[in-house]
Amino acid sequence: MNIDIIVLSTATLIGLYMAANIGANDLANAMGTAVGSRSLTLKQAVLVSIVANVLGACFAGGHVTNTISKGMIDPRLLVDDPSRLMLGMFAALIAASLWVHLATYFGLPVSTTHAIVGAVVGFGILSVGAGAVSWGKIITIAISWIISPVAGAVISGGIFYLAAKKVMTTRDPHAAAVHYAPALIFFVVLVLILSFIFKGLKNLHLEIGFFPTLLVAIPCAAVVSLFGRKWVRWQVHLKCELRPNPQGFSPVECVFAQLQIFTACYIAFAHGANDVANAIGPLAAIFSVVKTKAVALQVEVPMWMLFIGGIAVGGGLYAFGTRVMETIGKDITEITPLRGFCAQFGAATTILICSRLGLPVSTTHVLVGSVVGIGIMRGMGTLDLRILKNIGVSWIVTLPFTIVLSMVLYKALTVVLL
Amino acid sequence: MRLLLSSLFLKSPFEGLQRHADKVKECAHMFKKAAVCHMGQDCKQFDILTEQVSKLESEADAMKRNIRNHLPKGILMPVDKFQFLEYLREQDKVLDEVEEALFWLSFRPKGIPDEVATDFHRLIEAVLPPIERLSDLVALARDYFRQKSEAQRERIKDLIREIRQYEHDADHLERELKFKVFDHIQDSLLAFHLIMLVEHVGHITDHAENAADRMRAMIAR
Repeated sequence: MNIDIIVLSTATLIGLYMAANIGANDLANAMGTAVGSRSLTLKQAVLVSIVANVLGACFAGGHVTNTISKGMIDPRLLVDDPSRLMLGMFAALIAASLWVHLATYFGLPVSTTHAIVGAVVGFGILSVGAGAVSWGKIITIAISWIISPVAGAVISGGIFYLAAKKVMTTRDPHAAAVHYAPALIFFVVLVLILSFIFKGLKNLHLEIGFFPTLLVAIPCAAVVSLFGRKWVRWQVHLKCELRPNPQGFSPVECVFAQLQIFTACYIAFAHGANDVANAIGPLAAIFSVVKTKAVALQVEVPMWMLFIGGIAVGGGLYAFGTRVMETIGKDITEITPLRGFCAQFGAATTILICSRLGLPVSTTHVLVGSVVGIGIMRGMGTLDLRILKNIGVSWIVTLPFTIVLSMVLYKALTVVLL
Repeated sequence: MRLLLSSLFLKSPFEGLQRHADKVKECAHMFKKAAVCHMGQDCKQFDILTEQVSKLESEADAMKRNIRNHLPKGILMPVDKFQFLEYLREQDKVLDEVEEALFWLSFRPKGIPDEVATDFHRLIEAVLPPIERLSDLVALARDYFRQKSEAQRERIKDLIREIRQYEHDADHLERELKFKVFDHIQDSLLAFHLIMLVEHVGHITDHAENAADRMRAMIAR
């Protein structure tokens, strides 16, 4: 059988597996609290997150991978030998997915982007030489280890502080929550629209400046928030007052449970945008080499590939994630809707602000920071900060592990196949 | 499939505290039974009841140690760890005093003299409510630290006031009883025994009030 076919089919399987993994873990974790508080049924949660994820993958995901090999190495150096690039991307895909799988097994949230970057560096060192690798990007990643959690902690902690001060500690928290609902919905929708436009339009190649975008987003958010109070009242009546709440939440938590649906969708969207592309990007590079027998400087990831990636994520969520969602709903009752909302909204805001400022952040890392930030504001139940050390180490180890593994795999593949 | 952040979350220490409070409550009821039985002159069950109280006390002690040992250095709690541990200590001291009072009761198997029996019975009755309220207090606090709603905080404050009032009433009874002892009891050995006994029973509510005060510090903003 042709090597190309073997590589392509294996890579497809691994890419899809990686995508399914994202669904079973990241998405399920994002939706878990919404299911736990009964603001969404299991079926609704699966459906909503698949839609958000596919939208993220198709409209916002492409730009992450349209520069082949993530800008870590210059593919022109491999022009004479396209099959090396193909094997390299194959090795990178395997190394990254192995690492993500391993980290997930130990319950450590790592960045798939960092895994794939490390893996590309690994085969780059062997194929084009260490000198041709843009090491500057590695420094950017190292900076993000610090910026992501710190920014996430500060912003989410601040949001929790405001929510606690303005809503929870008032005489009638439910009335206060309904009172502030339009403002809350305004900011949530604003952040989501801005994220969607800034991330999504890059892929659609419509360049709109910052202020025109604001001009579009603010009225949209304002219109949505006009209906906010009515909608929140209606939802609270429907979901919390008509039948007893399974976890004993007060009505005010019910308001946040509704808002959390939006923020969970954003997390699904962001994972679709970044992580699906990470799984599908190397696949697109391999596909392009097999098809054209040449090394292209830029490979546009075809829309259908991203779509399939998004669907694979949905499949993973449906097949394996439902149990995770149920477990979160039942077991981690410490994540109340208010806390879940603050963490997710804080993460979304952090990612929006940091990426506008050009600071490198990773969704997963920001979320970890958000949870701890709310914990520091004494709002997150009991947190075991000793685990943070393991999480931090896993973030750092991501790079050496994927670099070395990808080197080994690349060497083995070239010896066997070339 | 894994819960990515689940390892970061620990079980709420309030769960253990609740179990401890329930154990204290159970023990207090047993104490009342033993004391009432002891006053009835011909009490055959007293030893069995004392033994049961001792058993409950050591169970509660194990719970206390378990809670303490599972609050290692690097954890982040919704309350100050030292205040939490101080509360636990006071709640546990309630039990120690219950046991101590029961011991004092047993030192003199002839029961309580008729002159002070009614008052002593009233004192024993007055000791139970604040201990029962401690269990409610922990349940409320557990909910409050999860949801942080002002309404819950107000209810906790009301409960703390209630416990203080109970302690105040018990204190009053304790003083009256001491007057009566010095008034009616001529036998100095008997008087000494009664005074010590009454002191220890009084301490039970003192510690319940101290625990409530620690809770007030915990929910302070």
